[in-house]
Amino acid sequence: MAPVTLKSVTKSYGATSVLHGIDIDITDGEFVVLVGPSGCGKSTLLRMIAGLETITGGAIEIGGRVVNDLEPKDRDIAMVFQNYALYPHMTVATNMGFSLEHRGGSKAEIAERVQWAAGILGLTHLLDRYPRQLSGGQRQRVAMGRAIVRNPQVFLFDEPLSNLDAKLRVVMRGEIKGLHQRLGVTTVYVTHDQVEAMTMADRIVVMNGGKVEQVGAPLDLYDRPANLFVAGFIGSPSMNFIEGELTPAGFKAGNITLPLPANAPTSGKATYGVRPEHLMLADDGVEAVVKLVEPMGSETQVSLSLGEQSISAVFRERIKAQPGTTIRIRPDANAIHLFDATGTRID
Amino acid sequence: MKTDLSPRMKTALYGLMCILLIPFVFPTWWMITSSVKPISDIFAFPPDLWPRRFDFSTYAQVFELQPFARQYWNSAYIAALVTVGTMVISSMAGYAFARIKFPFSNAIFMVVLLGLLIPSEVTIVPLFQIFLGWGMINTHWPLILVPIFGAPSVFATFVMRQFFIALPNELEEAARVDGLGRFKIFWTIALPLAKPALGAVAIFTFLHSWNLYLEPIVFLSSTQMFTLPQALTQFTDAYGGAMWNIQLAAATMTAIPVLLVFIVAQKQFVEGLAHTGLKG
Repeated sequence: MAPVTLKSVTKSYGATSVLHGIDIDITDGEFVVLVGPSGCGKSTLLRMIAGLETITGGAIEIGGRVVNDLEPKDRDIAMVFQNYALYPHMTVATNMGFSLEHRGGSKAEIAERVQWAAGILGLTHLLDRYPRQLSGGQRQRVAMGRAIVRNPQVFLFDEPLSNLDAKLRVVMRGEIKGLHQRLGVTTVYVTHDQVEAMTMADRIVVMNGGKVEQVGAPLDLYDRPANLFVAGFIGSPSMNFIEGELTPAGFKAGNITLPLPANAPTSGKATYGVRPEHLMLADDGVEAVVKLVEPMGSETQVSLSLGEQSISAVFRERIKAQPGTTIRIRPDANAIHLFDATGTRID
Repeated sequence: MKTDLSPRMKTALYGLMCILLIPFVFPTWWMITSSVKPISDIFAFPPDLWPRRFDFSTYAQVFELQPFARQYWNSAYIAALVTVGTMVISSMAGYAFARIKFPFSNAIFMVVLLGLLIPSEVTIVPLFQIFLGWGMINTHWPLILVPIFGAPSVFATFVMRQFFIALPNELEEAARVDGLGRFKIFWTIALPLAKPALGAVAIFTFLHSWNLYLEPIVFLSSTQMFTLPQALTQFTDAYGGAMWNIQLAAATMTAIPVLLVFIVAQKQFVEGLAHTGLKG
């Protein structure tokens, strides 16, 4: 276990800059998820921590030691790849013991560690099989086994669940989280799936366009997004944004007036953000026209027209409204978010 | 993609394939059956598909008229050395061109590929001059060195490069994280996975060397040093006429390793070439 520190880390390919000074402190044993849309630089950053990409500027420290110029093998990290990267010509046991073998481990030690890791991951009965004889979930477990068998200081996961079906992804999510809780190894996990990020992370780093938009605990990001990007990225379905003006009577967007919290500013242009789950059916609410109703069982997702804006709402109730009918909704004033013209949160 | 054909279509397809097979199979059949026919029966018309009389003495005469066992050994060990040498050189060169970033690698690869465009007839005289200078005429060295460093090796390098390019990067990256250096990645990860391509390289290199004709007749002059394709031309009577049945017996024995190689390894050959984008 070791802390990982990124200090003003930059990455350029020729004249193209892809990471613009990343600063992140990851404490010992923490589970940090790098999340962001495709092309935001999260995988590049992870590969730089692993030593698979060179660093253009700044410094990366693992366990207090600058590792900028160290080979991956000298960084004491283990990585789980998106496509598992299991060696096809080796059995599960050989795959898992491979790194120990090349680091001079004795046969007895390797066998013991492989058995230990296989026991944790439920792979004991699969040790003699080849990767091609395994299911996707089993391959994923072997990839994790290969990582834990060496007892590294840091685990790096590069979108490890993206090749699995939705159901298995939920199972493996729990297994990875459980593994982290059991071993307590510092973990950096890359995903583009904000649900994965929310459910697994101690802290989330939201990235966009090669920059860190916000770092924080999952619920902090959900409750207090620092800007429009984070507000729109975290949460599913994503937050509704309504352009308008702050007034003493409330937030005015065309003919509609929406409620504001007690301490909200009362003048100036702003963007009003409200999560779909923070809209309620209310007789004293504003009128909205139903466009689409999607019953999910436990909740109902409804697409609505609010004035000229399209928004979505999630209700715990079972809504029987037909498309084209009008319902009345009201945002929970204490759960709304305001952003200024630059997209920064207004507190 | 698997396509299910109706039984009628299947029968028609197999029938067509059997007809197309005739031009390929008939010469081999004719060679084998003629090798055990008396010479008077070989050109009988209409030809006999099955010999009326069997005469196996031709096989013994092959060894009496020429040092055929020695020539067989010459071809075998030269082909073996060329095959191993080409596999070593082409796998390393192919890996380097596919996986190692170095300046002008693509341009250098193009230059190497250009070697394939130069016919061996063009280079044979300069090569003769070079080997004459090195005192290697009437030795087997030219037959070993020219294929290992010449066109066959270039083609093999191309095959290996195409294979290594298709290997997922993550395998190498996982190996780097696991603590392997460049050569160990090549040796422990890339090369074992390249077995189909290596198999294809081994087969066509072996066959190329086994069938080599121009170079032996230029570089070799004594019958003890001859290889099989060259030796086959030596089964003639006092007037220079071909001793057909003996020559065909020698040709049959010459073809045996080729047939064996194809029967045993044709699947690997096709798989290996499939990675190059070439049809097998």
